[in-house]
Amino acid sequence: MLLLLIILLPLLGFAYLGLFGKNLREPLPGIIASALVGVSFLLVLFGLLGGGASWEIKDWLPGIPLSLVLDHLSGYMGLVVTGIGFLIHVYAIGYMHGDEGFSRFFAYLNFFIAMMMTLVLAGSYPVMFIGWEGVGLASFLLIGFWYTEKKNADSARKAFITNRIGDFGFLLGMAILYSTFDTLSIGELREILETSNVLPLSLGLAGFLLFVGAVGKSAQVPLMVWLPDAMAGPTPVSALIHAATMVTAGVYLIARSSFLYVNLQDVSYFIAVIGIITAAYGALSALGQWDIKKIVAYSTISQLGYMFLAVGVGAYWIALFHVMTHAFYKALLFLASGSVIHALGGEQDIRKMGGLKKYLPRTHLHGLAGALSLAGFPLLAGFWSKDAIITATLNYPFGGTGFYIAGLSVAFLTAIYAMRWYALVFLGEYKGSVEPHESPKVMTIPNDILALGAIFAGFLALPEPLWNYVEPFLAPALAHVEVHHMSLGLEWGLITLSAVVALAGLYLGYMAFTRWALPKWYLTFQTWSENAFYVDLVYNTLIINPLKELAAIWGLIDSLLDTGYLALAGVSSWLGEKLAWVQAGYVRVYGALMVLGLVVMLVWGVLR
Amino acid sequence: MSYYLLLSALLFAIGLYGVLSRRTAILIFMSIELMLNSANLALVSFARASGDLGGQAMALVVIALAAAEVAVGLGIIVAVYRVRESTSVDDLAEFRG
Repeated sequence: MLLLLIILLPLLGFAYLGLFGKNLREPLPGIIASALVGVSFLLVLFGLLGGGASWEIKDWLPGIPLSLVLDHLSGYMGLVVTGIGFLIHVYAIGYMHGDEGFSRFFAYLNFFIAMMMTLVLAGSYPVMFIGWEGVGLASFLLIGFWYTEKKNADSARKAFITNRIGDFGFLLGMAILYSTFDTLSIGELREILETSNVLPLSLGLAGFLLFVGAVGKSAQVPLMVWLPDAMAGPTPVSALIHAATMVTAGVYLIARSSFLYVNLQDVSYFIAVIGIITAAYGALSALGQWDIKKIVAYSTISQLGYMFLAVGVGAYWIALFHVMTHAFYKALLFLASGSVIHALGGEQDIRKMGGLKKYLPRTHLHGLAGALSLAGFPLLAGFWSKDAIITATLNYPFGGTGFYIAGLSVAFLTAIYAMRWYALVFLGEYKGSVEPHESPKVMTIPNDILALGAIFAGFLALPEPLWNYVEPFLAPALAHVEVHHMSLGLEWGLITLSAVVALAGLYLGYMAFTRWALPKWYLTFQTWSENAFYVDLVYNTLIINPLKELAAIWGLIDSLLDTGYLALAGVSSWLGEKLAWVQAGYVRVYGALMVLGLVVMLVWGVLR
Repeated sequence: MSYYLLLSALLFAIGLYGVLSRRTAILIFMSIELMLNSANLALVSFARASGDLGGQAMALVVIALAAAEVAVGLGIIVAVYRVRESTSVDDLAEFRG
């Protein structure tokens, strides 16, 4: 029951605000929505303290229970979703102040939380799929929240359609699992896979297809194009859905299915490769962006790449650790960006910012904490989790050193663009025309909490020989992977190395974007990066435009067919008109016709 | 036997003629009754000729049916008359194609 309440409370908020929210006065819908998510958070917390819970309807579909499970993994993820979600709800009360769709916004947000918790708590793949599609819908609704502008509506559609490509993979993966094992309950599948020695061949394909679903949802190469455009939505949405929670659903799916992937070395290798490519792509694209939110969006893609790198090399708990720290600092970065945008009356171009340190002292601190944590500044949350991922790649038997070097290089780039974001927004001289004003308390206090998380969350899991709470906590829900531990000296040497790399990146970024004149080759790179390496253009030319042409051809054929059918319909309507005189309306005529018919039948009968 | 059937056929023809030639709903109605009863006569005479009671039972069913029909039909005629002040069926020719 408690489990159901976790989902039903936000859903209730969605129904209530959706139906009656218009009659409520301004802060009230926000307060209701936030309170419901807060209660959900407490329920998850108490459920976890009470040792977990589960709930199910057996044989909802044959072999598929409608089941919810609160174990350490889903509880961990649930705490991140509802906790960060609660803070962002509170922030949004200030951010959405005066918006026409105030209550609609909170209805959607609550719907998102309900669906996300369905996804997280799901005990079988179809239930997870319900949540999976639900968050996709919520994402669509919220990206296109200001739907009167065509750009926003287009972005919403783009996100939805791109996600659908991945979802198709998820569906097919489920179908293969079901036809192989006759069950889709995650617990049962885990039991089967852990006890049987022979693995069906189709398992690899199923794992790959599930990963395709994750690629779509988590904006990995090649389905990453929707995430930057998703920034068209209000900033709290970007923070909640497109940074902290929904996009990490793919990582969660892989971690949930870790018992599957631990047996699939080849698919895991593929995941790691996609992850590192995405990380590099995101970091390179983030460098050239001029939109304050798009920098953060590309950095999200890059960080998601890191998470997939981690699950690819089998470091499942580290991926989830990074999910948590990333949720803190990325939500913080987005909300700080939102605060800046709010202060400047909607301005998003960082070329018109600068020097905001003086005007927005509080937001400046938030931005600094977020950027440094993202950059991997030593001892901050982002440092510990990212370093754990990069170090874990070294233990990977198949080309670990290559992954390590690539991961470290991307970390270097990350530090540079994080510093660029910070320096161009907060340092230097103010270049805009609007008088900036600091955001209200309702927006800064959630950011304070997130900033604390972005700074200190890393201390939950420190490398050997220091304490680590996250790994033993998550271990029972994840597949067991033999890790070859490296010597302490080497480990701490590597940690120092990655700290040096981060600091060097920060220094270089600081010097490059405040002091030096940028060299010519960089400006060329800048143009490429600004356009995200023209991936959209390539997709348009190679896929979308040919498809449009094909659609036009089919449209032509369709109109030809229509002409034929119209002619056919014309014949029968002409016949109808001609026959209509029979219906004269005189009863006697009908009577006479009946008699005539009778006579004809009689005569025919007799003659036969 | 054949006299009965001849009478039945005659009655049927008269009834049919009445249905086709009369304009007043009441008269058409009476003609229909005539046709029904001619059919009854035929049924009863066949029943008697073949010694089977089925035909007679059928005739009773037809009588019961005719009674019900009279009730409904007269009701409709009265209702139409109240609205139209006429029982001519040719005035009721609005349902044409």
